Amino acid sequence: MKRNKLIAMFASVALLALMPASAQVAPDEMVKTAATAVTSVLKSDPAILGNPAKLKELIENKLLPNFNFQRMTQLAMGRNWAKASPEQQTALTKEFQTLLVRTYSGALASFRNNTIDYKPLRMAAGETDVTVKTVVNQANGQGIPIDYSLEKAADGNWKAYDIIVAGVSLVTNYRDEFNTVIRDQSVDALIKQLQAKNK
Amino acid sequence: MSRTFIVHGVSVIAGLVALTLSGCASFRAAAPGDPLEPVNRGIYSFNSTFDHYLLKPIAKGYDAAVPNLVKTGVSNVFQNAADAQSVVSDALQLKGAKMGDDLGRVIINTTLGIGGIFDHASAMGIERGNEDLGQTLGYWGIGAGPYVVIPFLGPSSLRDAVARYPEGLYDPISTLSSVPVRNSLLGVRAVDARVGLFPAESLMNQAALDRYTFLRSAYLQRRQSLVLDGKRPKDE
Repeated sequence: MKRNKLIAMFASVALLALMPASAQVAPDEMVKTAATAVTSVLKSDPAILGNPAKLKELIENKLLPNFNFQRMTQLAMGRNWAKASPEQQTALTKEFQTLLVRTYSGALASFRNNTIDYKPLRMAAGETDVTVKTVVNQANGQGIPIDYSLEKAADGNWKAYDIIVAGVSLVTNYRDEFNTVIRDQSVDALIKQLQAKNK
Repeated sequence: MSRTFIVHGVSVIAGLVALTLSGCASFRAAAPGDPLEPVNRGIYSFNSTFDHYLLKPIAKGYDAAVPNLVKTGVSNVFQNAADAQSVVSDALQLKGAKMGDDLGRVIINTTLGIGGIFDHASAMGIERGNEDLGQTLGYWGIGAGPYVVIPFLGPSSLRDAVARYPEGLYDPISTLSSVPVRNSLLGVRAVDARVGLFPAESLMNQAALDRYTFLRSAYLQRRQSLVLDGKRPKDE
């Protein structure tokens, strides 16, 4: 019995190694792989939560490649995106990414003891925009639904452009905030505020 | 016409505090869904001050002094009362399955869970319906209306604010006949709810550029999601 498990494990590792790098990973698989990569480290090495540098490295290696920050920033800017110069757009994307990574690292601590359920993905053939639904089960028995909006990039890889926590879309939330700052002040003021926040 | 109506409605809800504070806030172009932003921002900053100097310190003290087991028990009792109220909203929305779940939860937790101290129903996998009157109005097609910040209570919409009153009439806690017991429990409930906000608050402080806008957006999105039972309207 144990032997079979071992063989199966080796076989799957071998399969993974044999898979061509360009093979297309299904969007729900991608989310699961990325989430598992992070939560397994949190479980095996809880001390990492007290080590901001290591935590940042973990997120940058395991999560960042799966996000399309330029698209996230563009969506969060909404109509204001077109008003920003290319330099401003680059600066916004960079600062927004830093802010999200820092916020996410701060929130990770509360994920340590939770399990994640992945809802079956409904996706039509040829679809390039999907939502992967998950539920994070808390210790008190209540589940928090977390959905990921993903888009298929030109290279065939799926990248996330929004996270919806309990019905609250990250992009929509920031769009309202960005709008307020730009409405009352300017795009440059928004960049300055993001920079100050990230210091 | 509609503007006077809105201002009148809010003055009823918000009372004098809102009106005196509205003088301090400067006027800006209104965000959609928040025509009362200057007034709301005034009440928001009043609430923040109240929270900073009174509610939060008490909640912190309670959080530090009371053992986790007791805190969970206290939360469960209030949650059980909320589940009982949820049954009414389930019924008003003709959601039979949810009503069965919530009713089952209340019966199990009140008996086996000794007055709601233990949440056996969750352990048994019976999910909380999490319905209220504001959602019920939304379910029957009544829009959220303008965003309003209620003194001491925080973010709301006009619809949800209006729904609070009838909901209070069958709140197991605020209908207790003994005034000292009732008031103590209402106080503890506020503190318990405040403790529950600590994780979200630290996340907001980390994430938000402008807390007022952050909170408004999160509140309105969350409420809409609850009205739609987690289904999402397609993004524009």
